[in-house]
Amino acid sequence: MTENRNAGPEVSAGGPRQVQGVRTRLATAADVPSLATLLVRLKRLNAEFDPLLAVRPDAEEQAVRVLEADLKNPRSVVLTAESVEEGNPRIVGVVRATVRERPFYVPEMEGVILDIYLLPAHRRGGVGEFLLAEATRHLKEKGAGLVTAEFPSLNEIATRFYAKRGFRPITSLHARRI
Amino acid sequence: MGVRGEMEFVIFVADAARPRSPSEPPSRVRKGTAGIEPTAEEETAEISQRAVTLARHFAGKIEVIPRVPIRGLSDFAYWYTPGIAEVARRIERDPEEAFSLTGRWNTIAIVTDGSRVLGLGEIGPRAALPVMEGKALLFKYLGGVDAVPLPLEVASAAELVETVRRLEPAFGGINLEDIASPKCFEVLETLSRGLGIPVWHDDQLGTAAATVAGLINALRLTGREISRARIVLLGAGAANIATARLLGHLGADLKGMKVVDQRGLLHADREDMDELMIHNRWKYELALATNEERRSGSLAEALKGADVLLAASRPDPHTVHPAWVQSMAPRPIVFALANPTPEIWPQEARRAGAAIVATGRSDFPNQVNNSLIFPMVFRGVLDARASSIPDDLVLTAARELARGAEREGLTPEHILPTMGETEVFPEMAAAVASAAVRLGIARVRRTHEEFLESARSRMARPRRLAEMLARSGLLPEMPPGAESPRGGLRGQ
Repeated sequence: MTENRNAGPEVSAGGPRQVQGVRTRLATAADVPSLATLLVRLKRLNAEFDPLLAVRPDAEEQAVRVLEADLKNPRSVVLTAESVEEGNPRIVGVVRATVRERPFYVPEMEGVILDIYLLPAHRRGGVGEFLLAEATRHLKEKGAGLVTAEFPSLNEIATRFYAKRGFRPITSLHARRI
Repeated sequence: MGVRGEMEFVIFVADAARPRSPSEPPSRVRKGTAGIEPTAEEETAEISQRAVTLARHFAGKIEVIPRVPIRGLSDFAYWYTPGIAEVARRIERDPEEAFSLTGRWNTIAIVTDGSRVLGLGEIGPRAALPVMEGKALLFKYLGGVDAVPLPLEVASAAELVETVRRLEPAFGGINLEDIASPKCFEVLETLSRGLGIPVWHDDQLGTAAATVAGLINALRLTGREISRARIVLLGAGAANIATARLLGHLGADLKGMKVVDQRGLLHADREDMDELMIHNRWKYELALATNEERRSGSLAEALKGADVLLAASRPDPHTVHPAWVQSMAPRPIVFALANPTPEIWPQEARRAGAAIVATGRSDFPNQVNNSLIFPMVFRGVLDARASSIPDDLVLTAARELARGAEREGLTPEHILPTMGETEVFPEMAAAVASAAVRLGIARVRRTHEEFLESARSRMARPRRLAEMLARSGLLPEMPPGAESPRGGLRGQ
């Protein structure tokens, strides 16, 4: 069951509809090329933190493929962040999240924020926090009882961002080449 | 080691008789290989060879000499034990006394890690030493400031910062020099917070202040308001990052400003913005603050209709094409500050319609030279014992330098005082000192006239010292064949 809302502004229950001229909505197929570009930018940013996150040369194609799959997946949440500051809406950010079942733990349903990215000009005045809040809302609607965020361990900007919003480490992923 | 109050650093100046202004003809016509005037390359090669010969001959450009009389060994009871113990006790009780009881008030460190020296790149601290010695000579000769060259073997910005912090008890101020960007921004910012003595990075602030001083006058001469001038910066290194910030304080339109680096126009959506956020947040912030329209493109596009070009990038005379100058607004202002070769030859820029052209070279009019700024700023902050050098002080120096050009008349070929217009320099120092008092960061508070008087005598003294030493017979003789070259101070 795919939610196929059209590209209009969401009415949040009690929350702001836009922050600093940026609003969010569920992504549609038409958004995919722009969102793919933003996703690749995020992956390249991750690569700055860790050589084990070096980006594949086919990252653009992969991003398109992954997003198209997400749009068909009922457990996925993909949000488009749009700026309406300059008249015509301009896509300036993306959130990719999914709901996973935890087979052994409670709460059973985990809302995972896989990717969250905003263009530099819009990383201010609470826009990032707004995106996080919107993603969390959607994940909760899909039954998530906790929200988790994945990002490179060496990304201290992200660590601080989430810590300020009450997140703390719960599991740790360690790696080496073989 | 001896107590610093009894020592000072003395300069040995080749041709000590008088400073030459850059417009003076050479003392004899030197023939180049074609039998006529030597080319710029031949001259530079000749000067380079002589510099090595002279360096070997003199084995050091500065040395410590006594600043107190030594009538006999018994005087050391005052200069050393047992008398000096009481001096030490006074400072222990009140650390500020160090500035009154020793030479610390007038002594700075010239600190480098050798990571970006002149046009040589990362030559390291040992190779940077002669350059730092030369800077010390300039500080003394132009500013009456005693400077200690301190090249450091450090592996990171953090190590550099820590080393300088640990040196604070010995100095009245710190001059950072030839440190690569973006490391230099981190170092200057960190040290400027809470060290208690003034810190300066000449490649950032000296260049920016001299540039801004020239621009103030160039805008005036061409009837432009700074808030409406369309400004393009070529290069986003130490100099232009600081220049952009100072221009912002002066009311320049940052949102309309365009900054061009090697990849083209900086803008908030550029591909490398995240890389910049991690590795060079100053350039990142500049990209966010400027080019509001987020236009991408090359220097050529950026220059269309622009009023001002401030180029502080690589030395290459083909960097800025005359056609692009032609596409600028009528009567444009072009500063081509790369050393030793400007981004466009001034004659070409003039032919292409530039109303006012400045370079970093002393053999063209309008030399934008850090030496017009740093000795005067330090004279001022040391005399006022300022605890830091906020941008307000930097701008005070720039404004006073700009004003100084009016003494001999503001013209398109004279937007800045030349190095020979020495009456301007104590006025700059006094203006900086008085501004420090006004800002509440001066621990020595005097009237403007008192600052001016002491700046004048402190800045005149080194020239008299040099003359006296030259006559004393105590300096090694200049080896034969070393006339004063034509070039002189080719900017920092």
